[in-house]
Amino acid sequence: MTTAANTAPPASVNQRSRKMLACTAEATAYQKAFGQELRRRVVEDREPYAIVQADTPHELFHAMDIPIVTNQWWSAYISAKQLSTRYFDKLVEAGYPANSCKYCSLGLACSVANESETAPWGGLPTPTVMVARLTCDCIQQVFGQWANLLGSEFFPMEAPAWTDKDPQWFAHSRDEWRRVYQPDRIAHMVAEMQDLIALLENRTGRKFDEGKFHHLMEQINVQEGYIWEAAQAIGKARPCPVSIAEQMPNTMIPQWHRGSDWAVAHAKKFRDEVLERIATGQGTSGNEKLRLMWIGAGVWHDPGFYQALEESLGAVFVWSMYMPFAGPAYIRELQGSPMEALASRVASMNETLHLPPWMNGWMVAEAQRCGIDACVLLLPPDNRLSQSGTKLTALALEDAGVPVLMIDADMVDAKIWDHDRMVGMVADFLREKGLAQ
Amino acid sequence: MIALAGPNLPHELLAAAGKHGGAIALGLDQPTPRAQQWLESKFAPHAFALVESWAAGAYDHLDAVLFSRADDTSQRLYYYLCELQRRGLLAGPRPLIFDVGKIPRTSSRDLTVAAVRRLAGELGVGDAALEAAIVAGNRARAGQPGGSPSGPVCLLHGTPPPDRRLHQVIEAAGFAASGLTMEELWLSPGPAVAEGTGDPAAALGTQLHARQQGARSFADPAAFIRQSVETAGASAVVLWRIEEDEAQTWQFPAEQRALAELGLPTLVLTRTDWQARDGAPAAIAEFLAGVAR
Repeated sequence: MTTAANTAPPASVNQRSRKMLACTAEATAYQKAFGQELRRRVVEDREPYAIVQADTPHELFHAMDIPIVTNQWWSAYISAKQLSTRYFDKLVEAGYPANSCKYCSLGLACSVANESETAPWGGLPTPTVMVARLTCDCIQQVFGQWANLLGSEFFPMEAPAWTDKDPQWFAHSRDEWRRVYQPDRIAHMVAEMQDLIALLENRTGRKFDEGKFHHLMEQINVQEGYIWEAAQAIGKARPCPVSIAEQMPNTMIPQWHRGSDWAVAHAKKFRDEVLERIATGQGTSGNEKLRLMWIGAGVWHDPGFYQALEESLGAVFVWSMYMPFAGPAYIRELQGSPMEALASRVASMNETLHLPPWMNGWMVAEAQRCGIDACVLLLPPDNRLSQSGTKLTALALEDAGVPVLMIDADMVDAKIWDHDRMVGMVADFLREKGLAQ
Repeated sequence: MIALAGPNLPHELLAAAGKHGGAIALGLDQPTPRAQQWLESKFAPHAFALVESWAAGAYDHLDAVLFSRADDTSQRLYYYLCELQRRGLLAGPRPLIFDVGKIPRTSSRDLTVAAVRRLAGELGVGDAALEAAIVAGNRARAGQPGGSPSGPVCLLHGTPPPDRRLHQVIEAAGFAASGLTMEELWLSPGPAVAEGTGDPAAALGTQLHARQQGARSFADPAAFIRQSVETAGASAVVLWRIEEDEAQTWQFPAEQRALAELGLPTLVLTRTDWQARDGAPAAIAEFLAGVAR
């Protein structure tokens, strides 16, 4: 079933989410302080920095202590400041198409608007390099033009074809990654990363320290191991101890800083808090009757959406991709080859979330693991990449007995999101399926 | 036989194997209810016809269909069709993907050469046969009819249309139409491939990696449209892009600036219907009626 969102201006006000974990506030406070520190390094001190896509090898930059601004994080930052509509309008005024991919282009739109008085940080200075994997036709255009606009250099990375398709990839990704992700794809990604390291060394004067990188990769395994452990526990626990509105920041914020001492410590703290809540029977809702799965990027401009039906219908969103993805996407036995292990991570991140059979194979397994009653799936109208794989995943879930509601909406563009209407849509769907009164 | 379902594919290799099945037949006017169950709205429109035809058994006579990573719809269809076959929802020929890289970097060229070697191995094509096909392909290129049309030329630039329906509108207005249809783009052999290198797979891979046309090309859009205008000898331009074209549509501002600099009469049609059921033919006819010949 597909339901269209209203394109009229929102009639209701988006909601903040309710937080229960102490570590959630700590994570957001850390990120806020990090944002200020990043701004100081990038804007005030004019350190060399990079603008990168989320599915690129951040680990290389971390190992070289080169600050990065992640496009998706920057988009969410702009969106949270209610500036997305303004900048997308500016993009159209500049002659760009109104049906452009919204998730990838908000940063470009901000730069095109060139409004230092409204832009976060007064706008971004010229980065040393901009890095994106070519997972769709669109991204090379966006990053290429953005790099030209900022006077920077674009370093694209291939997303090679993946012909050895294992729907159970997530069960083998930790120790059999060479087989699962295909040796030739890994080798190609390693070659590109070596080119990128050479470019970074040349442009910044900073050296890539293999020992530091190896340690970072080990620490990432520790960090994501905590998150994985907590995700496994959440899947089994009744009631769900933590809403996805809290799973997301406690997974994603440490993931932006992956491998750092803070990130590892925070992941442990989060796991401990989750396990403690499970041990004491505390749920995110005192009324859990239905366990829901959210497929799609987070609706950053309306995080309260996820908790809106907990009290009235007992419908609790217990699953979104961010937290359970940490295990299969990040944890790698290094096997003496940390660069190859990283390549296997980078060469699969987008594909496993957006292409069959990896996406549907994993999502069905996750729905079964977590006892999911129904799924809400985001289908952004102007974003082929975010749409990708969703219909086959919906069919696979329904074949597995999980009803699916597909919502036509964009996770960044607040213009086509109305809190009350969206919540009402989910409620109607649950009633139609006989899951709620 | 192996049919083609995308741009930037190794024609000489398929010819050497004796398996070049041409562009896949699409059947564009059919309803596509099965395809719509499986494909999302942002797939290029031809994808729905292709999947519907596949489900109807229209390709059962083929050994395989070769998709291309040089185009998002083409590469994504490969994964979808493999999955539909795995789940028993479709039968038909074997989907294959040609892993062409377009980044102007040695590693991407090497990736493309490796893709040529891999496919050659699967098809049992040796170096001698591939070299012979390259030589024959170059002869065919050289034998293409050349020369300029006698009348004025209008360049149709942007999304490759499904057939020559827009070209016919341009021709009816008294202009020769320049610009490839989608099928012509898929079948376009591109520039000559280097002969006598001793490594024909590398020569073919290098040519495919460097080709300028297509959604994943790194060619400068302003330079490319200027070159297209010059090559065609165009005195007018129709810049036509469809609703689902989310990639090259980003090139609009650069293309429009380039055309403004050239001072050519230009009609810009964006977010159009691929099958031109939206008034585009009338708009083109009206535009060209006002252009001096």
